[in-house]
Parts: sequence; C-alpha cells; structure tokens
Amino acid sequence: MRFTSRPKMNYMPGTASLIEDIDKKHLVLLRDGRTLIGFLRSIDQFANLVLQQTVERIHVGKRYGDIPRGIFIVRGENVVLLGEIDLEKESDTSLQQVCIEDILEEQRLQQQSRQEAEKTKHLALKERGLVMPRPDIMDEYGVQHQY
Amino acid sequence: MFRFQSLDEDCTLEKEEGLVEEEDEIDQFNDDTFGDGAIDDDWQEEHKRLAELEERKNEGLGGLGLGGLGMGGMGGGDASTVQLPPPASRVPHPSSLPPPHHSLSSMPPPGLEDRGGGDLAESLAMLILGADPAIASVGGPTGPGDRSTGLPPPPSMPQQHQLPPHQQLTPSGLPPGPLHPSLLSYQQHQHLLRRGGPPMQQMNSHNIWENNMGFGPVSVTPGLVTQMEDSPLMSIIKEVGLPNRPPPVMSEDGRDLSERAPPPRSSSPVIGSPPVRAVPIGTPPKQPMSHAMNHHQQNSPLCRPPFPAGVGPVLSQIQRAQMLNSQVAGFPRGCQGPPLLPGGGGFRPFFGQPPPHRMGPHHNHVPCPIIRHNTTHLHPQHRRMLTQRMQSRGGERGGRVGDWRSRDPYSNLMTQREKEWVAKIQMMQLQSTDPYLDDYYYQNYFEKMEKRQERDRDGVRKEHTTKLITPQVAKLEHTYRPVQFAGSLGKLTVSSVNNPRKMIDTVVTSRTDDEEKREKQVWNKRRQILYTVEKMYSLLLEVQDFEKRFMQTPEEQREALLEQHKTHTLQLYASLREKEWDDRVSDEQCLLIMSVRKGKRLISRLIPFLPPLQAAAVVMGIARNLPALAKKDKQDQALCWLVEPVAVVISSLSSAALTDLLQELQGSEGQLSKVLQNKFGVTLLYLILSEGERMQSSDLNCQLMDDNRWTELVFSVTRELLNVPPSSLSPPLFTPPNLLSLFSRYVDRQRLELLQEKLQISSLSR
Repeated sequence: MRFTSRPKMNYMPGTASLIEDIDKKHLVLLRDGRTLIGFLRSIDQFANLVLQQTVERIHVGKRYGDIPRGIFIVRGENVVLLGEIDLEKESDTSLQQVCIEDILEEQRLQQQSRQEAEKTKHLALKERGLVMPRPDIMDEYGVQHQY
Repeated sequence: MFRFQSLDEDCTLEKEEGLVEEEDEIDQFNDDTFGDGAIDDDWQEEHKRLAELEERKNEGLGGLGLGGLGMGGMGGGDASTVQLPPPASRVPHPSSLPPPHHSLSSMPPPGLEDRGGGDLAESLAMLILGADPAIASVGGPTGPGDRSTGLPPPPSMPQQHQLPPHQQLTPSGLPPGPLHPSLLSYQQHQHLLRRGGPPMQQMNSHNIWENNMGFGPVSVTPGLVTQMEDSPLMSIIKEVGLPNRPPPVMSEDGRDLSERAPPPRSSSPVIGSPPVRAVPIGTPPKQPMSHAMNHHQQNSPLCRPPFPAGVGPVLSQIQRAQMLNSQVAGFPRGCQGPPLLPGGGGFRPFFGQPPPHRMGPHHNHVPCPIIRHNTTHLHPQHRRMLTQRMQSRGGERGGRVGDWRSRDPYSNLMTQREKEWVAKIQMMQLQSTDPYLDDYYYQNYFEKMEKRQERDRDGVRKEHTTKLITPQVAKLEHTYRPVQFAGSLGKLTVSSVNNPRKMIDTVVTSRTDDEEKREKQVWNKRRQILYTVEKMYSLLLEVQDFEKRFMQTPEEQREALLEQHKTHTLQLYASLREKEWDDRVSDEQCLLIMSVRKGKRLISRLIPFLPPLQAAAVVMGIARNLPALAKKDKQDQALCWLVEPVAVVISSLSSAALTDLLQELQGSEGQLSKVLQNKFGVTLLYLILSEGERMQSSDLNCQLMDDNRWTELVFSVTRELLNVPPSSLSPPLFTPPNLLSLFSRYVDRQRLELLQEKLQISSLSR
C-alpha cells in the first residue's frame, strides 16, 4: 500500500479533541468500571467511540487478564476517561498477565471479600446508629467499582 | 459512525419527476414489504434449494466448525427449520428474524430475480452478509480465537470458486452460502453499498445500486481512485482477498432501489423552513463524491455539509485553513479539493483567499500560518503559545507515525472529511457572542499572562498590546415570511420546527411621527394628572385617618401628629392653588384634576378637610370653571359627588363670599346658560340662592343687600331662568324649598308664576 502522509493538522488547538487520537491504541475506562483497550477508529461529536480489536482488561491486584471483544461502540456519556497507550511502553509494566479464567476467579474472590467487608462495616455503623449510603444504591448501575 | 441514507435531490416537491420516481420507489418498496413481492416462486421451494446447497457446501468445507450460523435468521419462521436438512442442527433457531425480513425476500430487485431464479440473489446475499461484520457476529459470542480479527473476512461463494486460504477464515460463524435472500435487510443492503467500494467500480453505470445521481454509493470518479488506497476496505481486501462479485445486473426499468430513502419531508424546502437538509443536521458526511477545486459545487444535498448558514466567519476560517492544509500537505487526490462551503454563496469572498502558490507539491513542514487561520477564536496569546509548541513538536512525530500507519490496514476508517466535520461541530460550540460570559476564566487567564509578559519585557522589547478579538457571531434573525400567492386571500403558512405556526396575526400599525408625538403628549399629560391625583389621594387618606390615629397615639406624640396633619392638609391645598395667590385655586390645576373622575372624587373628599377659606376658594374655582367641567363631565357624570361637600361649604360662606360665588358662577358670557344645562350647575345655583335667601330671611342685618351685587345677580339669574327653554333646563338634584320666597322678593307676580311653573316643572321632574 502506498504510504500517504497525514498532515500535521491541528484542528482544535488548545482544546480537547479526539481527532488526533484516531487510529491509536487507547485505554478507555467506563463508568461501570470496565477497562477497554482498543484502537480508536472513529469518533463523533458526542465522543462516542469506535474501538477496534478491543480487549477488556480485568485487573485484580497485580495481575490482569484480557478478554478479546472485537469491535466496540461506546456511547460517549459512559466514558470516564481515556488515554493513549504508548506502544513502546506498553510492555514495560510490572503487571502480570494471566489467563482469563484465573483472573475472573480472582475477581470474583475480590468482589466477595469486598462485599463481606462492606457488610461488616455497614453492620458496625448501624449499631452505632450511622447509616452510610451504599455505593451500589447511589450509583445507577449498582456495580461496585474496581479500585 | 453510522452513515445516514442520503435523500436524492429529486426528493423535493419542486420536481415532479423526482416525486414520481420517489413514489414509484416507495410503491415498489411497499410492494416488496407488504405485498406478494415480485417473485412468483414459493419461498419454501427456494429455501429448500438453498438448504441443499448449503449441504453441499458443508461437505465441501469438510466439517469446519461452523460455529453457529452467524445469521439471525434463515428466512424466518419455523417452517424453514423443518425444511433444512441436518445443517439445521447447527443453525440456531432462525425464528429470531421477524416476518418482515421474510417478506424482504423479494427485495432484490426484479432484475436480479430474472437471472437464474435466485442463484444470483443468494450469492449476493452471501456477499453482503459476509462482508458485514455486524451480521457475522450476531450469532453470539464465539470463542476467543474468532474475535482476534476485528473484521471477519468475507465468506466464499459456495458454488463458485473457493479460495483455499479462505477456508480457514470462515470458522468465525459466517453465514454459509445458501442463505435466503430474505436476509437482505435494509441495513445490510446499505452496508454493502457503503463499504463495497472497489467491487463497485467494476460495475457499469446501470448498476442497480446506483442512485439517481449517477454515482455509486461510494465515489467512483476517477479523481478518487488514489483515495481508494486509503480506504480501509481496500486495505483489508488486499490483505484478505476479494470475494467474487456477481456480474452487474441491469434492472429492467433502471429504478433505483438501493437508496430507499424515507419519503420526502412534507414541508417544502422553500416554504417555511430553512433549506431542507436532505441529510439531517448532525449527520456525518458521506464519502466525498468528488472534489472539484472550483466553486462549482454539485448542488446535491449529499455534498452540502450539514451546517446552518449562520455559522459565519469562524467556519470560513476553518475552511481556509483546511484548504490550505490540504493543499500544503498534498493529498494525493486528483484535484485538490477544498472542503465544501456551507450554505451557498455567502462565503465566497472568503474562498478567494488561498494563495495560489500554495498549491503544488507538498512540504512536510508544519504550516504555522495555517494554524493562525484556524485559531481566530483563541486568545492571541494562546495562539502564540500553540504555534511555538507546534513547531517544537512538529518534526519528531511525522516520521514515526507514518511508518506505523503504513502497516495498519484499518487506518483511516474515519475520513478526512469526517474528521473535519467533527472538528467543525466542536468549533461551532466554541463560538460565542459574549466571550466573557461563556469562558471567563479562559479570557482572564490569557489576559493576565499577557500582562505578565508585557511587564517582563517592558523596556527590553515593547510588544504592542493585542486586544482580544474573538469572532462575534452575529445573531441572525431568520424571520419567516409566509408565502403569498398573487391574487389570493391570505398567506400560505407551512409550519416547521423553525417557525411554528402563528397563533395571532398581529398587524403593526405604523403611525407618522407627528401623530405619535401628539398621542404621546396626550398620554403623558393624562399620566401626569393621574399621578398627581394619586399622590393627593395618599395624602388625603392620611388626613382622613388622622382622627383614628390621633386616638391611638399617646399624649406626648399627639402634638407631633397634629403638626403632621396640618402639613398634610396644607400640602393638599398647595397642590391645588395658584402659585402666588394663596386664596385662589389654580384654574388649570383644578381643571386638570377634575377632568379625571378620580380627581373629582378626590376633591369631593378633600373639601371637608380643608380650612374654610381654602375650601371656599376651591368651590369658587369649581364655580368659575363649571362650564368646562360640565363638558368634561359628560361621560362620567361625577360632578354630583361634589354637591354635598359644596353644600356644606356654601352654608358656611359669608355673604360677601356668597355673592362672589354667585358672580363666579355667572362669570362669563353665556356661562349661566351652560350652567343651567348641567345638573350640578343647577343644583349649585339653587344652593347658592337658597343660602342667600336663608341668610336674608334669618339674619335681618345681613350684608347681602349692602351692595347691589346680590340683587343684580339674582335678577340676572331669574332672567336667565325665564329665558331658558325648559328642555335645556336640567333638573337639579334637589330643590331647596325657600327658592320661591327668594324669587318673590325680586320679581313681580307674573314672573314669579312663570318661575314657579318652571321650577315646579323642574322640581316635579326631579
């Protein structure tokens, strides 16, 4: 294929725009806590994203697992943040990749322990007369965020 | 990005042929959807045949794991499963596809069906289905391996040659060959049309998928051949191989069936709405049709960027910038095309900008001046910073990016135009008529920075202070002018989103300046009077309430209250009286106030509170101006309120004053007759006379007779009374009883009798 140079056009100097991010690998964090990694192929004015070769990455502690997902179209309002991944530095990480089953299992365990901790905390507070609003009630999706 | 269907230009109401064509198209559509369709043969038969084919194909593939038919439906309905032999077991239940899809079986135009009764259709279907990754992956989440490539490669035709490399690629649940043409759903159709770029090139102009414009769904003009190289599909195809394209089919009547546009909008583009955007606002641009350098734009709505014409200078700047950019960067397009202008000729002047020397071979340097054009909305300080940043970063990025992108087959899925389009929208959002309101901190920040820089550089280098010039977008008023046909009554109104229907037809009556001035003056005066009256009223009310308050306040404060009361009353009188004369009421003022009904009421309430002298003065004033007052009172008939308080006043008048009053009443020539015409006037007169009589009869040494005035006056009154015709004699409110005795003093018997008659008449008619 003949090489065509893309002009270094600055469409929106001084403003945030995804146009320059197109065709680059990105990490996208969604509101429900999922992490997607894919090539940003297309955008629109609402920052809806088209991600190609998307991979959903689940992080548990220092390990992570990837689930290939294919093409994702993400509605703009659900994006918390996204950032370009430097392809060279991508492999330069201390995180360890494991297979997907393992990571899912680990995630499940993590969720479980977290829930239990939450429950005990909630109970303890209730005994003291304090009722904390639970995040899953607050958040519309009702999903625990992964920290 | 989802690409919208584009309406033909012909879809406007103006062109008859277009409309007819549309209708035909629609009819056809309906026929296919709801009617029997164009095909005659039984769909079940068709299905059987396809199933057989599939069997054959399955054998051919040697049991490659067809992990589920990617297709959501094999022609809908449970009947199909019965008809399908064993492969059906691998097929998920096709009942998911709703019946309409089934009826789309005839959707491939009749022309297609004529050829080999369905073979073509099915191969076409396969091509479409295969080429569309969305469909391919509908079958549900497959194994991880299948999803490694974003785009599953297109399937191979079963009966035609299968390229061996493809066999390994089909396991990703692609639809095997013999799919029912019913699967050609609208969307799939569209997808093919959009994406099937290069294959389309081979079709001749009578391609059924051509739209009325004579273009293929993807631009086919030679100028864009080179652009095709960027096309992702192109790259994918090169990598992956081209599916065999069925030979082009000519439909019988050359109707365009591909672009099944929704019916044209009911409102004409001319009447009522802003120019119809065949593509609704908010649609990303299609693949560019052609790039003409000159201003000669194809007037098709396809080419018109979806922006209102109101987006002014900023856009043109952008366009200039982009144009320059495109030229400088040297897009390998046949003709270097500027981005298309919005909405027509209004921006042509801007268009003339591009310096000709910029055309030609591209240079890979970062164009600094171009950035400037693009950034007029930014603070100049900001712009400077950006250019500096640009320059420093410009070189290093270019090479690497290019290298990487040459290997990425999916790059440039988003065309330049689309990027520009998104950028445009984002820029539009930055436009502001009030930058300080919209982005205060931004403005402030840069101003401070500028000041700081100036301070630093002061003495070393004086930079001229740049004032912030942000493009102010003029708020254009698009008023709707209803269309009016000559010779018809009324106006034709077509309501649309931008001009909702008029509920009230208001007509502006424009008056000349003079008239307006006069009217204004009149109104102003009236307002003045009313204002005065109101003020006086408030004072009056205070005075009236004085009594009550007096009772309530403690002893110490009563003095003060009394004082206050006095001042109020004085004030009240002051507003009535003449400027210099203290004992005479200003005629003008009096008239003004009394011209208003409320004013009359005010006076009537006021008089009791005034000290006697002042009250007398007021009454005098009334008497003096009675004719005028009477005239003004015709509508209100409110003068009669004055009777009571005036009566009180009169009874307290001295003889001299009384005489004066009577004189006033008779004052000018003909006044008395006018007085007599008015009820109040008559009543007043009688009151005066009766008082006079009372005085005379009660007080023997009253001074009424001292000078002849009284007598004379009474004489004139009687004369007048006798002379005046009975019809014009207005009946008084009441007739004092002692009038007769009064008259008996002054007139002889004959006249007395006459008077009596008259007065009796008057009194009877009371």
